Amino acid sequence: MKGPEEFSCRVMEQAALAPDYYLLKLDAPELAQNSSPGQFAMLGCSEGYDPFLRRPLAIHQVDRNKGQVFFLYQVRGKGTKWLSKRCQNDKLSLLGPLGRGFTYSATGGRAMIVGAGVGVAPLLFLASELRAQGWELIILMGARSKSGILRPDAFMEYGEVKIATEDGSCGVQGTVLDLVSRELEKSSFDKLFACGPLSVLKGVQGMSREKGIAAELSLDERMACGVGACVGCVCQSHDGSYLRVCKEGPVFSAEEVVLGE
Amino acid sequence: MSDLTVNLAGIKMKNPVMSASGTFGSGVEYATVFDVSRMGALVTKGLTKEARAGNKPPRICETPAGLLNAVGLQNPGVEVFIRDLLPEMLEFGVPVIANIAGNTSDEFVYLAERLSNTGVAGLEVNISCPNVKTGGMALGTVPEVAAEVVKAVVQATDLPVIVKLTPNVTDIRELAQAVAEAGADAISLINTLVGMVIDVDKRKPLLGNCIGGLSGPAIRPVGVRAVWEVSQLVDIPIIGMGGITTGRDALEYIMAGATAVAVGSAFFHDPLAAVKIIDELEQYCTDQCVEKLQDLVGVAWKDN
Repeated sequence: MKGPEEFSCRVMEQAALAPDYYLLKLDAPELAQNSSPGQFAMLGCSEGYDPFLRRPLAIHQVDRNKGQVFFLYQVRGKGTKWLSKRCQNDKLSLLGPLGRGFTYSATGGRAMIVGAGVGVAPLLFLASELRAQGWELIILMGARSKSGILRPDAFMEYGEVKIATEDGSCGVQGTVLDLVSRELEKSSFDKLFACGPLSVLKGVQGMSREKGIAAELSLDERMACGVGACVGCVCQSHDGSYLRVCKEGPVFSAEEVVLGE
Repeated sequence: MSDLTVNLAGIKMKNPVMSASGTFGSGVEYATVFDVSRMGALVTKGLTKEARAGNKPPRICETPAGLLNAVGLQNPGVEVFIRDLLPEMLEFGVPVIANIAGNTSDEFVYLAERLSNTGVAGLEVNISCPNVKTGGMALGTVPEVAAEVVKAVVQATDLPVIVKLTPNVTDIRELAQAVAEAGADAISLINTLVGMVIDVDKRKPLLGNCIGGLSGPAIRPVGVRAVWEVSQLVDIPIIGMGGITTGRDALEYIMAGATAVAVGSAFFHDPLAAVKIIDELEQYCTDQCVEKLQDLVGVAWKDN
């Protein structure tokens, strides 16, 4: 695996998918070539020193032929707000690819992919690679309402998509965890992959343990360096020690981590 | 080409730009990002006698033009450092300075003895960490206590002993004078400023440790002031740090009296910050016809 590098990338396109949700396309051939699903990049999100830190964003999708990398993100504060204002041909500073991504066998199997809200961000790249390796996929997407169900059509290219919204405005009414338990009752899976809020990760962790199915969880944490140097973004491991989300993660096996509050 | 070299208490550096403890890992993390061998020196994360788990998360929080951290000296312990990390660090061919953090004078002595003859070029005595319950800043706020630690370390090793001081005191000059008289070979100024952020939604402190240390451009004037005051008082060299993100920031510290400078939080804003700073110092010297960068040390002092 190639180590991270610093790039100045040209914005090719930026689209608002829903209020506060954006899809950013960058010209980044080397990053497209060297990234694997679940990895992320640190993006510079200011012109001056406020905001000071870069923002960690999951690699959403790559087009290796065209040398393009996509990021799907939610505007949550000053940094992502600034990012959402970038237009075509603007340049962005980017450090990547970073972290340890998802792991899966190259000989296929049956996988469940669980994404809640903007947590679907790293999962499209995963779905496309899994599909290419012959995996059969059930993709479960959840959000509060329809506007939070992001890029369902893109996911449909790679497997069967099922949707749950809390207000019932799209798919079935309920949470993505309801879908997970229903699907786990219906059929068997070789592996679960999940990204989303802590409550969803904890739910998937619990159910995977119950069923004895291997699961991998992609964690989100405040980061400073992104390369494992500052030890600022940690989660707890089973032996009580702290693991760096940016270096040992952001993807962890469900067995490996203790999820907090 | 201008001369950027520095002799810092016997540590020979090709330029004055070092990494600040705790912000650069063991350098290996940045090996594919830029040519780490261009650095003047590398300073390790704080090392303790035994491994430390560190504080519970969240450990960092962005603040205006800076960040708060409360990592709590997570490190694998000095033995694992010497066995696994130091060999990799030494491969950069740059002086490696070990930042040591003890709970007591005896632990500092143990660390100093253990790190002698291992290839490290110097020790940075951390009596200024705001994020640990024992040791750290508690040993660095009373001049007599600080002097006692420094005396013990100086006796325990032949390595140059750098003492890193906290700005969280009434008068940093008293501390600087005390550690200089105790035999310190150099002083690092400044460690982070103690601060806090409240999570308004949760109605409680945001950091797991409640309080943390503030770094980044926000604290630069505080560091420059400390260097300016201390460097005019003591005869040992000062390493200036706190919010350096550009060559001009580094020049501020140098003109205030710093012999060398350290880059820390700037790596998080721009991983290439240190090399850019080295290039900018070089460019400044060329543009201003400065033959030796060291000639600028303290040019902003009162008497000049």
